[in-house]
Amino acid sequence: MNPSHAQEDGVTPATPVAETPVDYMAHIRGMRFFDPHIHMTSRTTDDYQAMADAGIVALIEPAFWLGQPRTGLATFKDYYSSLVGWERFRSSQFGIKHYCTIGLNSREANNEALAEEVMELLPLFAYKEGVVGIGEIGFDDQTAAEEKYYRAQLELAKEAHLPVQIHTPHRNKKEGTERSMAIALEHGIDPGMVIVDHNNEETVKSVLDKGFWAAFTIYPFTKMGNERMVAVVEQYGPERIMVNSAADWGISDPLAVPKTAALMVMRGISPEAIRLVTYQNAIDAFAQSGQITEADFTDAQPVGLDQKFNGNSILRGGQQPRRDATSILIK
Amino acid sequence: MTLQQLFNATATDSEKAWLEQKLDAPTPATLAAFVAAPRFVSRRPMPGQPDWTMDRLARVLLLTSLPYADETAYIKAIGTLFDTAEMQELAALYAALPYLAFPEKWLFRATEAVRSNMGPVFDAIAFGNTYPAQHFTEAAWNQLVLKCIFNDKPITRITGLLDRANQTLANDVSDFAHERWAAGRTVPAEVWQLIPRFMNETLLNDVNRLANSPDERDREAAREVYEKTSFQF
Repeated sequence: MNPSHAQEDGVTPATPVAETPVDYMAHIRGMRFFDPHIHMTSRTTDDYQAMADAGIVALIEPAFWLGQPRTGLATFKDYYSSLVGWERFRSSQFGIKHYCTIGLNSREANNEALAEEVMELLPLFAYKEGVVGIGEIGFDDQTAAEEKYYRAQLELAKEAHLPVQIHTPHRNKKEGTERSMAIALEHGIDPGMVIVDHNNEETVKSVLDKGFWAAFTIYPFTKMGNERMVAVVEQYGPERIMVNSAADWGISDPLAVPKTAALMVMRGISPEAIRLVTYQNAIDAFAQSGQITEADFTDAQPVGLDQKFNGNSILRGGQQPRRDATSILIK
Repeated sequence: MTLQQLFNATATDSEKAWLEQKLDAPTPATLAAFVAAPRFVSRRPMPGQPDWTMDRLARVLLLTSLPYADETAYIKAIGTLFDTAEMQELAALYAALPYLAFPEKWLFRATEAVRSNMGPVFDAIAFGNTYPAQHFTEAAWNQLVLKCIFNDKPITRITGLLDRANQTLANDVSDFAHERWAAGRTVPAEVWQLIPRFMNETLLNDVNRLANSPDERDREAAREVYEKTSFQF
């Protein structure tokens, strides 16, 4: 970038960030983060530990595709069940509050026979405690079947008074985003109840102008990089913008939210703006479900070593002891 | 006091009004209320029952209100709740087992809770719950106790612990202790209360080892075993 050109536009030239490792944790110590889109069923306990250490106190796991198509209803049921069961517990062991959104993802909406059965299953999960929205739903290939089940799930969200978490497609993103928003409005859904995800520089203006929440996924190579994210916040401010990692089974980064916050600190974004886009806005958007109690993760005790509970070595609240990852000795 | 009286003694007026209406509702509405309970009854500890919260008590009461004249329909309705339950719902379902009709029909489900790695789910079947002591086979009972010991959870909170003690379990405790000791790990002293009635040479050797342990709790456990056993040594 030509610095003089940037200054002409009223943009402060970016402070260069060294390519060599930066102790980014030093910039975000004491900060709390909320990752509103991350697929923890695909992640390890090391990820959970690193996320807790970096200040992530709560997260939302949207229901999605598992990397290959499911072939029967029972696997959908067990998957949804794991989002409100086992994964919720696994997360709690690291002191991280786990919420989820429930939905039929767009790819699998194309198997219409199965999709019909899944639609009957969804209400059983949509009303569960800690289910903070219908998601992630929307378009992938933008087929007729995708549209049909997207519309059906918008109706379910309306019925259940739940926010909607929209996945926007990788291909024809602009068109897919516009179409997703137009259909939501057509169904009479308040844009303030809709989080449009995976935005980029091309889609953000229209999403914000129409009154929707704009989520950005910091995901290496295929979605947003965090330097671009800083520029978006510089340009549009923090209102109705939120950052997530969408970390999953692909090459992705479960620390994308804290790392982006650290970069924002280094680039001079105000502390309040950082708090909004990496914590508060996500809570405000999804708490409209009535299912988020902030005290559940602000009052949580830090996870310590060897805490005794009722005289037993089981850790307080069932939390896991810390493994020393740097030691060659495994005890 | 009945569960209903316990609820009424502590619940707010709006909680009582909500539950009263749902207890009289047709089955589908009662099942939906089971899921929705925490929206209307807050998750605060239930007085006098440290393992339960008020919303869990409300959920158990809702289950006890289901009509059971038609056994198949009853089992199916509660089965669906199990199959689609989130973590706290599962814990409530297992805590409710002693209060459900057709108790023998829930045996497999109950052993599934013992297999669960979700802490609150395991705890709901293991602690302060009369169902395992009343209905588990010896093998299932022993699994429950051993898994508790293995996970460093307090066996003293298992209802009927000493009544259901048996020779196999006593031997299993010894095997477990030997494994732990070989690994340089320790065994909670409270497990030795399971053995006085089932002493043999192997267990006696274990107790003699405890009597020489540097840990006072082990030595105290050994004294208690010596005192309670009728084994001639």
